[in-house]
Amino acid sequence: MLESYLTWLMEELATAGSSLLDLRKRVSLWYLLSAVGFAFVVFYWRYGKHGWQRLLPYVSPKVWLSRSSRTDVGLWLCNRLLLALLIPKTLTHALWISGLYYYWQKQGLTPLGLGWSTTWVMVLFTFCYVIADDFSRFFTHWCLHKVPMLWAFHQVHHSALVLTPFTVFRTHPVEGVLFFMRSLCVQSVMVSVFLVLFPNQVSLWQIYGVLVTTFLFNVLGANLRHSMVVLSYGPRIEKWLISPAQHQIHHSTDVAHYDRNFGVLLAIWDRLFKTWLPGNDQQTLKFGTGRAIDRTGVIGHWWIPMMDCADVIRHGVAKRCRNLKKRLTIREP
Amino acid sequence: MKKTLLSLLVACSTSAMAAQSYEFGVTLQGYDGSATSSVSYGGQIARHALHNSLKKVAGKGDQAQMNTYLSSTEAGRVILDPVSKDGFPVKQSKIDELSSGKDLLSSAYDGVITGWPGNPTGQELLEQLVDAAAKTKAGYDPVNGYDYVQLISKFAMGAVFYNKAVNHYLEEKLEADQHPNNEAYKPGTAYTGKEHVWDEAFGYFGAPANGLSLSAKEVVQITKQNPEVFAKADANGDGVVDLKSEMAFAHAYYAASVDASAGTNYFHTIMQAFVDGRQLISDAKGKALTDAQRTELKEYAAVIATAWQQVIAEAAFKYAGSVYADLEKIAVIEEAHGDVSKAYRNYVKHWGELKGFALALEAAGRDLGNAQAGLDRLIGFSPVLFGDAQVVALDGKGGFVQANAGPMQEYKLNMIKVQNLLAQSFALEAKLNDKTAGMSDVLEQLNAAAQSAEND
Ligand SMILES: [Zn+2]
Ligand SMILES: [Zn+2]
Repeated sequence: MLESYLTWLMEELATAGSSLLDLRKRVSLWYLLSAVGFAFVVFYWRYGKHGWQRLLPYVSPKVWLSRSSRTDVGLWLCNRLLLALLIPKTLTHALWISGLYYYWQKQGLTPLGLGWSTTWVMVLFTFCYVIADDFSRFFTHWCLHKVPMLWAFHQVHHSALVLTPFTVFRTHPVEGVLFFMRSLCVQSVMVSVFLVLFPNQVSLWQIYGVLVTTFLFNVLGANLRHSMVVLSYGPRIEKWLISPAQHQIHHSTDVAHYDRNFGVLLAIWDRLFKTWLPGNDQQTLKFGTGRAIDRTGVIGHWWIPMMDCADVIRHGVAKRCRNLKKRLTIREP
Repeated sequence: MKKTLLSLLVACSTSAMAAQSYEFGVTLQGYDGSATSSVSYGGQIARHALHNSLKKVAGKGDQAQMNTYLSSTEAGRVILDPVSKDGFPVKQSKIDELSSGKDLLSSAYDGVITGWPGNPTGQELLEQLVDAAAKTKAGYDPVNGYDYVQLISKFAMGAVFYNKAVNHYLEEKLEADQHPNNEAYKPGTAYTGKEHVWDEAFGYFGAPANGLSLSAKEVVQITKQNPEVFAKADANGDGVVDLKSEMAFAHAYYAASVDASAGTNYFHTIMQAFVDGRQLISDAKGKALTDAQRTELKEYAAVIATAWQQVIAEAAFKYAGSVYADLEKIAVIEEAHGDVSKAYRNYVKHWGELKGFALALEAAGRDLGNAQAGLDRLIGFSPVLFGDAQVVALDGKGGFVQANAGPMQEYKLNMIKVQNLLAQSFALEAKLNDKTAGMSDVLEQLNAAAQSAEND
């Protein structure tokens, strides 16, 4: 029993470690390095031969060895172990998609029969999938901020005092489950609809086994978003794509920056929801929530959100009771 | 990746050794008999002939006859299939000419089969199916939706041939202390222990010895005794097809049939691994196999076991698609108030093939993980019948109990799920009669692309 448990533990940790070389994972060494290369070129072009100095915070030991950064890694590993238990490994998606695929057909959805080549279907499906996926990420994130009960959990991500590429894993397990359900919904709907419309033609456009947009996003410095390196895409591009500097604004303690730039890939959702702010290479920001959670470790980051969530629920109930009483007392005379 | 490497390895090693047929000389040290071949699997071919004949009599529903080919070992049994045809004469006509004293039942899987009501062992299930078939007309039970000819045949192939080969000969019998290679298999035989163990597994696969020089289509036609391929089948040119070495049976036929339809390579993958493994044993020249040699041998055995399992799963996949198509046809005919009896007959037949192959996957003691429970639940104990009923259990007297299972047409969704489950669990390639529109391929891509809980 103990032995099999230890084997499982080691295996899970080993797969976590293998992310560092896996092109499908944002924190793979290749993307960590490509981000440096990308930023180096941009800074050289903008600031000349001293531009590279702006990259120094990326490798600063003070950042990497800080408590906040250690908590990132701790949460990453601990969440992995927990989520491996909470989220069923395979087949869930297959069952959902099978069900929906069957349902659409029963509702009268039939193949389009446009005679399109498989390449065009691939391009169309990839495009639609990326848009749907990106919007669902934006919207889930927006909800995490706007719904107090959800913010209780999402504050974990915002409690980072410094940003390193591993801050991307700094989440509460509950948020992990939410994001699993998000991907389940998006994938089920997109894949099932496309399978009915274009039977036997649906596939994703991939590079090295990675979705093409994910690959480009990661090669072009996705890891800078969670880092102390400030890189803006400039006002024109930032209207369309979220830059590292824009995501750092999302993490800022400045009240003016609260609830801004929820997007992952595309900036259009933020413009639509009026939450868009441009970034700037010169911006200097402070990160964190300014609450006690900022200075706790893994246990605190698991525990405090649950207490906060319970508080929110209790307040909600209390408020409802008060309102009810008020209404009753008004009616009485 | 691993698989491509392995097949590359297999390809390289054959070009070096160039054994193209399953024929090997005597290597046993100290052998002074007159035999020149060390290959022997007559007992396995006898069981293939028993199975083929059992299938023939199951369609007549005569219990005594069925038992003759299932559990009896009596002398003088006639081979009912394959028999000589115009343009395709067959050498043997009696089971004893292949091997005497053999039966099917005692070689069948004795572990529990969860996919049948009452959790019988593999052997018990074969007996139950034969008993039940005897109570029907021509092996067809429209009330419970059973085609016993299909159930018996498809399950028996798994419970006997596949089970014996992968669960027995290619598994425990490869260990060093079992039938060592530096001794005769039995006193007086011309073959060593390991040579014979490997031959017995090969015999159960059912491929003709010259399988590597045949195309998948030709293998299929040999089973069908098509006179056009007779010359190819009669490898030694003696004017008759020797069932012992020139006929294609059971899963060898299904492997070739899947390959012929889908362009996959199951038949030759399995055949090549058998030939290469046997070559390795021959090359040991009658000495005990070293640990390194046995390790290599086990790799060939693993290639065989994996591909063999895939062949059975491919067959189940195909028939799940047929069941789906049958339900669609039934719906159309019902809509038009036509006669559904023929479509229903096909539905029951295809379900029997699906169920038989699915049960066969369980019948070799291999861990199927989540797939086993999934297949049991999705396929159920019977097809969903008119009136939306399905067999759910056995009563105290061995009769089938039915209960409501939801709309009959909804069973189509189960077939989609079955196909996905099979494709994902066994990494299927051919996927004939795919009713999922290629879902498993997309799922595989999505799993690789972005199965992450990470956010920003
Ligand atoms: Zn946020
Ligand atoms: Zn962030």
